[in-house]
Amino acid sequence: MDILRSFFAILIFPGGLCLLFVSLIYEWVDRKLLAQLQNRIGPRWFQPFADVIKLLAKEEVVPEGVDAGLFVGLPILALAGGLTAALYVPLFGLVPIYNFPGDLIVTLYLLSLLTLCMGLAGSNTLDRFSLVGATRTLTQLFSYEAPFLLALLGPAILTGSWQISDILAYTNSHWLLLTQPLGFLIAIIGLMGKLELPPFDAPEAETEIVAGALTEYSGRGLALFRLGKGVELLVGLTLIAAFYLGGVTNPVFFLLKTLLLLLIMVGVQSLMTRLRIDQTVGLWWRYGVLAVFVQWLGIIVLKGVLL
Amino acid sequence: MQKEKTVSSFTIPIGPQHPALKEPGHFLITVDGEIVTKTVVRLGYAHRGIERALEERNYVQCMYLLERICGICSHIHATAYCHAVEQLAGVEVPPRAQAIRLLVAELERIHSHFLWLGVAAHEAGFDTLFMYSWRDRETVMDLLENMTGNRVNYSANLLGGVKFDVDDALEGEILKGLEFLEERTHHYLDVVKTDIMFLQRTSGIGVMTRRQAEVLGAVGPTARASGVARDIRVEAPYGAYVEHPVNIILEQDGDLRARFIVRLRELFESYRLIREVLETLPAGELVGRVPRRIKASETVSRVEAPRGELFYFVKSNGSDKPERVKVRTPTICNMLSVIKLAVGHQLADIPMILTGIDPCFSCNDRSVQIRSGDNLQVLTWEQLRQFGA
Amino acid sequence: MKSVTMLSDVLRSLFGEPVTEKYPFERREAPERLRSSLHWDSEKCTGCGLCATDCPANAIEMIVLDKKAKRFVLVYHADRCTFCAQCEFSCRQGCLELSNKEWELAALSRTAFINYFGEQANIDEALQAADQSE
Repeated sequence: MDILRSFFAILIFPGGLCLLFVSLIYEWVDRKLLAQLQNRIGPRWFQPFADVIKLLAKEEVVPEGVDAGLFVGLPILALAGGLTAALYVPLFGLVPIYNFPGDLIVTLYLLSLLTLCMGLAGSNTLDRFSLVGATRTLTQLFSYEAPFLLALLGPAILTGSWQISDILAYTNSHWLLLTQPLGFLIAIIGLMGKLELPPFDAPEAETEIVAGALTEYSGRGLALFRLGKGVELLVGLTLIAAFYLGGVTNPVFFLLKTLLLLLIMVGVQSLMTRLRIDQTVGLWWRYGVLAVFVQWLGIIVLKGVLL
Repeated sequence: MQKEKTVSSFTIPIGPQHPALKEPGHFLITVDGEIVTKTVVRLGYAHRGIERALEERNYVQCMYLLERICGICSHIHATAYCHAVEQLAGVEVPPRAQAIRLLVAELERIHSHFLWLGVAAHEAGFDTLFMYSWRDRETVMDLLENMTGNRVNYSANLLGGVKFDVDDALEGEILKGLEFLEERTHHYLDVVKTDIMFLQRTSGIGVMTRRQAEVLGAVGPTARASGVARDIRVEAPYGAYVEHPVNIILEQDGDLRARFIVRLRELFESYRLIREVLETLPAGELVGRVPRRIKASETVSRVEAPRGELFYFVKSNGSDKPERVKVRTPTICNMLSVIKLAVGHQLADIPMILTGIDPCFSCNDRSVQIRSGDNLQVLTWEQLRQFGA
Repeated sequence: MKSVTMLSDVLRSLFGEPVTEKYPFERREAPERLRSSLHWDSEKCTGCGLCATDCPANAIEMIVLDKKAKRFVLVYHADRCTFCAQCEFSCRQGCLELSNKEWELAALSRTAFINYFGEQANIDEALQAADQSE
């Protein structure tokens, strides 16, 4: 019975299919909001579904000279990483399906796994655009990863535990947005960097390197990478909402808070120009790390003084 | 796919199919990491054999074919051709027709600069500016449609004049549209001058000094952004520009930011010109009579397209078909500057530098006869078609 | 130095309507000077054929059955036409006019685009002659 329940939770609800479904809805909200801000009509609600279904129906072209196993396997690994990371966060306002000490680190690592897979996928091919895109993906990974991780570990320092459910027990009743504003800022901008949303979409700059690391992908591989990105979006939003916006204790709060965060992200997307990769690295290693260190200093001092 | 890998260099092909290019053109860029070390350009993908086709059509038909060399600067091509033919035939165009030609030309300039602003913003990754500037461009396209009947390829000219008139209602519409556009242009000039992130992508990039611009033969706003005062409307005024002089807009920095600023400031000059012409529109007829057969002679005509100096050479031979029409468009003059300037910049700046000259690839694909020693290669019509296939 | 220069535009759009016209559910009035399909008034035609000579796209064919009796057939290929209106100005009698209403000209086959203008008897005769000569 337990095994059946586990399978159901992982594959159907709230992980697996339900997660994929909702992540596609969130992708639609992202695109529709961006269109509204740019004074145009966006796509209809079923557009991301149509995209995925169409991609799955197309032939997957394996280019010459690549390692076929890696080429086909990396998208699967990326999506698997995203889906697994979702098991430890409070999706849809429900209690996380699994938890164990240290699962915060594991979740964050699984989220990075997706980016690593994309970088590897890009370096796998012989196409120049993919190689440049892969280089940029990995460079960007090195730039935002440290501040982003530190910003998400801020609440962990405060509660003194690496387990998500323990942290949630504290943040569900305290709004860390008010006491750790810098951490919140870095976390949300870091999520934009992770997802390669403008202004941090240099690795996927359409007007310079076609599609970056994913240039050679088509059909199923591309669909799985896109789904992986959607899952990453949802998991990232859940984590930030759970930690900084006073927890997601029921589905209504979940919807409201994650959609609010999405609105902020879309707003920032529409107002900024794309940064060059060296400007991205400079920005993160100068201001991102500085902000996070100031925040951590604040947390440690306050924790020592107050608690 | 062949990968040329020397010690630490790497070639990236931008084009002929690439999301950065709106039209096909091939730039083979050699990079070392992210820094560009060499650029090779290959053009000719949009060659349609127009100059050859013109030799088989009569003067009237030629005008429409020439209009379609480019979609964005179509009217100015037709105007340049009409000037040349009218000079050959010795026909005087009535002043009202010349004023109306100026109106359409300036509206076209406005349309072209707005289009360019959007495309350049898109290349930089600033999609919001792209969407808004193209939304505002719809205003000027509606004005052109109400005036001429079409949004592109206006067919406003006839040999010897123009096809239609401007009445009071239309004048009112134009003035109202200009008010809206002027307010938006102020806003965009503000954005281009002060937005920090946009400046990071444009300031100090693609710097072309004044000396370089003169040596490389740059024309149009690209040259004016480097301080070179080249503007055919000022140097050799044609048509109604004789009565309505233009102030030349110059910037000294020579980088991408200067090119943005020059084009936006030129918009203000266009608004001023249009208002001036509408106020002082001379009365009179719209068309002068141009004979069908034009006696043998040759002439040149130069006009200022939105991208720079447009040069036409027309040779007649006494029949009703031209002997030879040669078109030299501004983009081919500015293309050399791209090749020179790209070296030393990052890969991400290349699309921006290319867009900075406002390239129009369909304009610049004309035939060039290269003589080297005795090896003169002339292609017949059939061979040319096979070469392009 | 500002960092969010487009903020006013974005905020205004967030609470406003998109500017896109939802064609074909909302159709705009065509402007008065729009140039769409050609129409020929055979009354004043003298059969000079200047319209056909001057058309840059060879979209007009003037079939002369009898010049003295003024029996002409004008064949207009709407698929070749570029709607430049040169024919309207070349004609010295003012027989040609480009309407400003027919701008939705899609069809499923090329034959729908060939328009014959003239008296029915003349058209029949011209078509017969064309069939016979093939």
